[in-house]
Amino acid sequence: MDSNRILTVSRAMAEAIGQEMKRDKNVFVMGEDIGAYGGIFGATQGLLEEFGEERVRDTPISETAFIGAGVGAAMSGMRPIVELMFVDFFGVCMDAIYNLAAKNVYFSGGHFKVPMVLMTATGGGYSDAGQHSQTLHATFAHLPGLKVVAPSNAYDAKGLMTSAIRDDGPVLYMFHKGLQGLVWMASPEGAATPVPEESYTIPFGEAKVAREGKDVTIVTLSMMVHRALEAAGALAGEGVEAEVIDLRTLVPLDREAVLSSVAKTGRLVVVDEDYRSFGLTAEILATVVETDPGLLRAAPRRVAYPNIPIPYSRPMEQFALPDAAKIADAVRETLDLKKAA
Amino acid sequence: MADVRVPEGLWDVAKIPEGVVANWFFGDGSRIEEGATLAEVVAEKSSFDITAPAAGTLRIVVPKDGVVTPGSVIGRIEDG
Repeated sequence: MDSNRILTVSRAMAEAIGQEMKRDKNVFVMGEDIGAYGGIFGATQGLLEEFGEERVRDTPISETAFIGAGVGAAMSGMRPIVELMFVDFFGVCMDAIYNLAAKNVYFSGGHFKVPMVLMTATGGGYSDAGQHSQTLHATFAHLPGLKVVAPSNAYDAKGLMTSAIRDDGPVLYMFHKGLQGLVWMASPEGAATPVPEESYTIPFGEAKVAREGKDVTIVTLSMMVHRALEAAGALAGEGVEAEVIDLRTLVPLDREAVLSSVAKTGRLVVVDEDYRSFGLTAEILATVVETDPGLLRAAPRRVAYPNIPIPYSRPMEQFALPDAAKIADAVRETLDLKKAA
Repeated sequence: MADVRVPEGLWDVAKIPEGVVANWFFGDGSRIEEGATLAEVVAEKSSFDITAPAAGTLRIVVPKDGVVTPGSVIGRIEDG
């Protein structure tokens, strides 16, 4: 084992896929530019050379057709990994995702399984505008039938990908572009991590405490884990110990991890790069107050994307995106401290 | 001791003057096996993996995001 090897998220994903393709001949990959190009965010790098065109299949730009084909392949005994290049492109293929992949196990009375991974790139911050920058976590977590995964680092990315491929149900694997370790898009320190060479799994529905603290709980996932850790670092200088919880999966959701942290801290800030309304942030608050409103010693706060389409202009986009400063201010509000000037 | 080098002629510097070290896959001072993938170098959107010429201890010479050309020494493998 090579425990001192540091992998980027994209390489960790490709390694997990390659190891599962070696282990199970029914695993194959398809999508736009996932072959010779290796996936535009690097998640299938090197797989075509190793496994050939039969198992690493470039598709035409027709998400409806190839995601529908993925569902059919999964129901026929294969284990497809299908890439939807940007999650924003879900519009044309939502019938295949929501009405076929998510529901067929129910509609067939449990006679058909759909062991399919739909992996897709999320997130903004690099001026790619309103059709290439969304995270849309809640859109997929909302309707029953899909499991939804969103890792924040390379170690989790590999383990969660292996779990996703071995899962007998459809899994939406949402990877943030800004965490992939691509040369043309800066990724935060901590996205690339030591990654064991051997295969391993990470169970769904188990959040991770990314930083321990006693004063306030920050619940988040994906890219915003890094923004929250940055905020927690700044707050530590003011004597505030923030606990950061990385949910890792939206469905299943580790509500227990949230509740036990809030029981300890009494204060809650929920951070999401997805739109503010009707989303993850509200779900976490509802979980706490439905269980015991007495857990909270102060009104909770949400830091999320405002309810507007994502702007192209860099100053406008950066103004709207959640960041460490906004998270730290939200924490200060829960503690009745003054906001940073 | 062995140099970790961007291969000569890896790209045509008349067309692409320079590249960058996109990623190091081991930290400075790490124990390295011969043939391990050490770093990723990118020039004009093409990515190249640099492997370890020998086993030993890695010393990074050009850090992540540092500028390189074919032939650049980006690190050294020390004995032991």
